[in-house]
Amino acid sequence: MPHQIAVTIRAPIDEGRADELRKRLVEVGRAGMAGAPFRFDRLPGVHFARFFVLPEQQDLTGAVIPAGLVYLGEVDAPLGRHLANLLDVAGEGVDEVFGYCTGYPGTGASRTTRLRWLRAHSMPADAFYVNTIGRGQAQIRAEATLRAAIEEFLDGQHEDLSDRTPLQIRQEIRAYVNDTPELAWALHPPPRPALSWRAKEALHRFGVPALLLPALPALIVAAPVWAVLLRLHELRDEPDTERPAPEQLQELAELEDLAAQNPFTAVGLVKPGPLRGLTIRLVLSAIDYAVRHHYGHADLAGVKTIHFARWVSMDDRRRVLFASDYDGSLESYMDDFIDKVAWGLNAVFGNGVGYPRTRWLLFGGARDEQAFKYYLRRHQIPTAAWYSAYESLTARNIERNALIRAGLNGEMSPAEAERWLRML
Amino acid sequence: MQPELELEDVQGLVARGYRTLPAGCFTLFGVEDPAAGDTLEGLIPRIPNAGPFTGDVALHLALTASGLRRLGLPAPIMEGFAAEFTEGMTAPHRSRFLGDTGDTDPRSWLWGGPASPRCDGMVLLYARDATLLNAQQDLLCQALRAGGLTVLAELRTLPFTDTEPFGFRDGISQPVIEGLSKAAAAARTVPAGEFVLGYPNAYGLLTDRPLLPSSADPDRLLPRDHRRDGLADLGRGGSYLVLRQLEQDVAAFHRYVKDAAGPAGPDLLAARLIGRWPSGAPLVKTPDDDPRLRDDNEFGYHRADPYGLACPIGAHIRRANPRDSLDPDPGTAKSLEINDRHRLLRRGRPYDTDGATGLYFLCLSGNLARQYEFVQHTWVNDPAFNGLSDATDPLVGPRGPGGTTFTVQARPARERHLGLPAFVRVRGGAYFFLPGIRALRYLARLPRTRGASGGHRTRARR
Repeated sequence: MPHQIAVTIRAPIDEGRADELRKRLVEVGRAGMAGAPFRFDRLPGVHFARFFVLPEQQDLTGAVIPAGLVYLGEVDAPLGRHLANLLDVAGEGVDEVFGYCTGYPGTGASRTTRLRWLRAHSMPADAFYVNTIGRGQAQIRAEATLRAAIEEFLDGQHEDLSDRTPLQIRQEIRAYVNDTPELAWALHPPPRPALSWRAKEALHRFGVPALLLPALPALIVAAPVWAVLLRLHELRDEPDTERPAPEQLQELAELEDLAAQNPFTAVGLVKPGPLRGLTIRLVLSAIDYAVRHHYGHADLAGVKTIHFARWVSMDDRRRVLFASDYDGSLESYMDDFIDKVAWGLNAVFGNGVGYPRTRWLLFGGARDEQAFKYYLRRHQIPTAAWYSAYESLTARNIERNALIRAGLNGEMSPAEAERWLRML
Repeated sequence: MQPELELEDVQGLVARGYRTLPAGCFTLFGVEDPAAGDTLEGLIPRIPNAGPFTGDVALHLALTASGLRRLGLPAPIMEGFAAEFTEGMTAPHRSRFLGDTGDTDPRSWLWGGPASPRCDGMVLLYARDATLLNAQQDLLCQALRAGGLTVLAELRTLPFTDTEPFGFRDGISQPVIEGLSKAAAAARTVPAGEFVLGYPNAYGLLTDRPLLPSSADPDRLLPRDHRRDGLADLGRGGSYLVLRQLEQDVAAFHRYVKDAAGPAGPDLLAARLIGRWPSGAPLVKTPDDDPRLRDDNEFGYHRADPYGLACPIGAHIRRANPRDSLDPDPGTAKSLEINDRHRLLRRGRPYDTDGATGLYFLCLSGNLARQYEFVQHTWVNDPAFNGLSDATDPLVGPRGPGGTTFTVQARPARERHLGLPAFVRVRGGAYFFLPGIRALRYLARLPRTRGASGGHRTRARR
């Protein structure tokens, strides 16, 4: 299976057309992104995808950042295949919505020209969290089918099961899978990401600490200075005390809770000054390292309900975009943040203008429950059109399905077989 | 330092469910006329506070967002309430969120829905017996009608019992609020602010509530919030109140468990759906109905029954209050602490009118989003609750076209019940605010003061 990548395409919208585009996206999104004009269901390897309008915003100096159309995809590598599919399969929709953007070559232009334009408007994510690295979209869907089939098989056998051992039952399930041509693939382990990619990741994993090692003495000297300066900045920060407007809450709520997962999209200005600029770069680099090498196994520092999350610096690092796909409601997502990983949220968003006051970067902040919830809501951007390839599957369901499949292979002790059967 | 709960400013419904007053009726009303303020103010002396109580009758008063607006509370102050409350229970996205779709769409409700008359508030009346209740209820309705209000519905409850219509003991597990007399004996308490506004909540913070400039309260009826520049605190002592009429198809429930039970028998299946035996004894503690455990509430799930072999993972009580069974670190104090941020203080009563049976589900919340709505959406309605699939709450969860799935975890392999039909149907509902007693007086006087000061409702006749 390929590894997953974060696709980010952003382009400025023609003067005065942002509102019209936003309405059109909501309309298309409501009708379902699996259907025309995008037909995301026919794009291989797409886990989630979204289009939204990033509204015009003034930066801290009063300069205007114009409104833009943003496409985010959480897809299986390679990027080239996905971009080509965007034009070849979803082209009708892509041409239409990017047609609102300045300089889009349009339907008249050749495929190569349009492809080049999409590439030119792509931007890298500073960090990209993947719930389980290397678990492709096709695998997730296939394993859901597998689980449903095994469950049905078990339902049919129930009368006869009580006097059998877990090992015997497992053997019968294996035989059933083996005898069912559409399921027999499950008896082999899923392929791993390409060796070349894994080698590159391993190099990063060990290379970064190796490179940092010589700088360690200097960092030890610098850290306390940085911490004290940061604390002084924190004392001067002004938290935003505004509540989100009822109309804004309503607009957001109308787009939420339509599937087992929800998209979250937010953008915020970075606090002024070089110290904050440096801090957020360091924090995002640390997150990048952590999510690539430590958190890629169904658990982001205690939060297990996130499928994907990304942090993207934009506009010369004046703003940071955060986007994720998570299970359940925004309320439960925010409660998870507050209760389980407040320090992690503080480390990033604490550098955002208006965030509830932090102490030493990691403390306070999100623990101010309502101020934090208001901050998130006030910085949230309506995800006008969103696609999920597996609307009813939570991250936990997906993980369980993968373990059910994995458990079909190899030998098991009676205790292992009993544990495995518990997942059904 | 925790500020002491001012019991005399909190309506007594927060402190007790009035077991000693078994007769009850909830009267829904509309505010038609500014005179309604005087009528409502006339009721205030009859409201018992949260201190010791020994009466034969008790009355409580709650208002919806439209009721507050009708009394003349200005829009900027309304915005100080929780958005869930001001938007109301039947906003379309909220109906989706709460599972009120299809058969239970608010458009089909008996009251509270978009097709029903606007509900502005509710009087909850409790009495020692039916005779006393009826006499009091008649007087109440007369007073309301004569005093600028319409009576929309009189929701009469069954005489209080602790058994709900399916035949199971109910109301056993309740959060105990710090500062009430019960708290001294309780093993576990939650901060008052979880249910009473104006006091620190589980995060040690004050939940947002409407604060008014001092000039809006010249008679100093309201307490002042000294942390916030002496603003007048309209929320203090108040609580949000959720009322939902849950019609229960008792025959269908018993028919289903009889047909679906198999060799284990209907009693066991019914108990598994709920998580307790009819007596109240929890399945996690006893494989048979043991009445000695009828009040037992001292248990967790993680250590005793991590895999749901005694009490299924999807059983109603294991979803509505998962105790120590959820992340992070099930079985730890941390898990319990997080669970405590999602508790409901239940004050419901069963009913049986015109052949329809059910429960007037009533609960109090300091934070609707984090408590009532969270429990309804994230625990009760979620088909993937705690790792399950296609399984909403077997008792009260919404149903898709094919019903829902209920899994009985077992050795060597689980048993699934597919296509569980709906046993419960929502027939009405609304969010109310149960103000503190001083706040209630302020609200009741609004039509007069705003009329006199030329406020936006100037129809005052006084």
